Amino acid sequence: MSGFSRRGFIGLGAGAATIALAGCTGAGSAAPTAASSAAASVDGKGKTLRLFSYEDTTALPFVQSVAAKFDAKYGCTTTIDNLPGSGAAVYPDKLRTELLGGKGPDVWRIWGGSIGSPYAKAKQALDLAPYYAKYGWDSKINPSAIAGMTFNGVKAGVPTVVIGVGCWYNKTLFTKAGVMAPPKSYAELETANDKLVAAGITPLGTGGKFGWDIMRLFEYLLEHTAGPDLHDKLLVGSSSWDCPEVVAAFTLFKKWQDKKWVPEGALGLDPADIEPAYVQGKTAYAISGPWTESSAIQAAKADVAGFGVFALPTDKTPMRHSGWVEGLMVNAKSPNVDLAAAFVDFFVSVSSQAEMQNTSSAVNGAGADPAKFPLSAEWAKGPGQDPFYTIQDQAFPKLQADGYFAIQSEVLQGISTPQVAAKKMQDVIKSWVQS
Amino acid sequence: MSTTPALTRSQTVRRVKWRGGLVAWAFALPALVFYVWFLVAPAFQSLVFSFTDWDGLSPTYSLVGLKNYVLMLTDPIVHTAVRNNLVWTGVTITVPVIQGLLLAVLLNGHVYGKSLIRTIFYTPAVLPLVSVGSIWGWLYNPQYGAINEVLRAIGLGGLAQPWLGQDATALAAVIVPAIWLRTGFPMLLYLAALQGIPKELYEAATVDGANRWKQFWNITMPGLVQAHLIVVALSLIDSFKVFDLIYVMTYGGPGSTTQVIGTYMYANVFQYYRAGYGMALAVSITIVAIIVSIPYVRSQTRRDDR
Repeated sequence: MSGFSRRGFIGLGAGAATIALAGCTGAGSAAPTAASSAAASVDGKGKTLRLFSYEDTTALPFVQSVAAKFDAKYGCTTTIDNLPGSGAAVYPDKLRTELLGGKGPDVWRIWGGSIGSPYAKAKQALDLAPYYAKYGWDSKINPSAIAGMTFNGVKAGVPTVVIGVGCWYNKTLFTKAGVMAPPKSYAELETANDKLVAAGITPLGTGGKFGWDIMRLFEYLLEHTAGPDLHDKLLVGSSSWDCPEVVAAFTLFKKWQDKKWVPEGALGLDPADIEPAYVQGKTAYAISGPWTESSAIQAAKADVAGFGVFALPTDKTPMRHSGWVEGLMVNAKSPNVDLAAAFVDFFVSVSSQAEMQNTSSAVNGAGADPAKFPLSAEWAKGPGQDPFYTIQDQAFPKLQADGYFAIQSEVLQGISTPQVAAKKMQDVIKSWVQS
Repeated sequence: MSTTPALTRSQTVRRVKWRGGLVAWAFALPALVFYVWFLVAPAFQSLVFSFTDWDGLSPTYSLVGLKNYVLMLTDPIVHTAVRNNLVWTGVTITVPVIQGLLLAVLLNGHVYGKSLIRTIFYTPAVLPLVSVGSIWGWLYNPQYGAINEVLRAIGLGGLAQPWLGQDATALAAVIVPAIWLRTGFPMLLYLAALQGIPKELYEAATVDGANRWKQFWNITMPGLVQAHLIVVALSLIDSFKVFDLIYVMTYGGPGSTTQVIGTYMYANVFQYYRAGYGMALAVSITIVAIIVSIPYVRSQTRRDDR
């Protein structure tokens, strides 16, 4: 299923620099008067709303607090169902089941791209265009992020999060291994990996149980070997995967395992277990997003000063990292769509975003608080301003993504050579494009 | 004075039987309504959807005839899943049943701490499968898991493996906890059945000079025929339903190495938005499960009739 235009991904990634910049400028942070009056016209007394989300345990209380304030303002009752920790592998299944059961949530959080697309295509998600006009979301939220929640021209979601993934590392372990500064080139990264292994430290903590975590390594390697133009073409199937650049990326991918730069048996590891290992000192770094500062570093009560973040060096111009959009959708069958839209508006206000400590907010004027989240703020001001390529499990529908994960697995186990893997990838993508 | 003609005896018997039948149906009706509403109707609905291209979310779909069933024949993941189901079924019936039988025979006599041992072996059967899967996932952790740690500690570090992270060992690694879980149930059934074998038979056999081996094959095993049927049939049905452990421990991976029909069906219906195809898989596995259950159901029905 590919309801989301494949070419839409290129535009999404290309506008990312603007997203990050706008996120720091405060432009459009003041809610338009028209929007405020529109919100005031909604009567929520005695009504109920249900939000379905996947907040981690550190973020959930903040979301609950925002919901309570919304309830106080509108006189309604908002409940929150939460399914943390499973990532995009499980959460959409439950959402889909609830929607089919006829009692779906009024508002739900979802990833953009191919994960959110089916809900728009099936018209389970409300076309929010009238509410965009009513609340002035176009001026409050960065347009490039909105593009990530727009499916075949239908604004079926309101983006709340634009996330870029970088390399979050343990400074103590880097120093112990003699890596005195973050690598500036891919060659330096390999050298750092060798030093870490020599010091008895596993460099990258990644797990392949659901496919998507270890995918972040491969897509980085592909960006390094293919460069931005070809990478984008590969993601939309307009260029063949059976090419030297893809073979080179798979070759490097295998090299990372053979040189023990990823944990032993990485394919069987659960990302939830292995990704925070850099905080525990079991691995040197993780390819992760700014949420890791609260969910891994601060949750472990570790000193933030002991950690750092840098962009994985691609040796290409422009320098890009992997990224994606997340946002809220409104149930087209909700009996309280006006109230649900008012909730979304309340949710994407700068004050709510600040209260939720959204370190990767898509809302103009909201962003990481340097006092509370110094590393996320550092990322947002630095590498976070670089453009991003669409993370591959959002670029591909799940069926193709699973086919791709199987090929990753075969390469790491030595079942498929990089050459064979490139051909197989082309078969997977070709069938998608043809369908 | 009544004008109704007197009923013959056979008419009276028929009427009583008819009324008795009605009463039975009246009592069964509420349960039947639930059964039809919640099981038969959805099953029929799934059958209908298996002939469509429904994506599982959209309000519309088209009939595609047997296309989904034909597609199954050429889908390499279905082949893998069927093979895995067969391996799973074979191993998780054979090993737990044999282990359960041996344990039951051993525990049937005067054994010190018998209740404790029974409890130890049966407890895994009552644990939630998701918890079991998570626990075993940790045991199998290649770096910090207890299994590899023990192997390293006793000098067998060379045998330490990424058990769940490689095709060669992933399925076997998931089958091990399944065996652990499923040994207790046949043990209990066999223990109950062993109580029903008259002790006099063993005493007579002993007098006739039969050793324990001969007693086992000529008295115990024939005495457990009904238990064998129940244990094997229920284990067989259980095997076709495999889902939880695979889902929790490997998610069908690495790649699709440990996919079984249940997990692949789930992936198609809930993740790939190919509900029609997923339901064709569900219908197929259901038909197979029904066919293999028929001998068990018939035996139970016959016994009830007697």
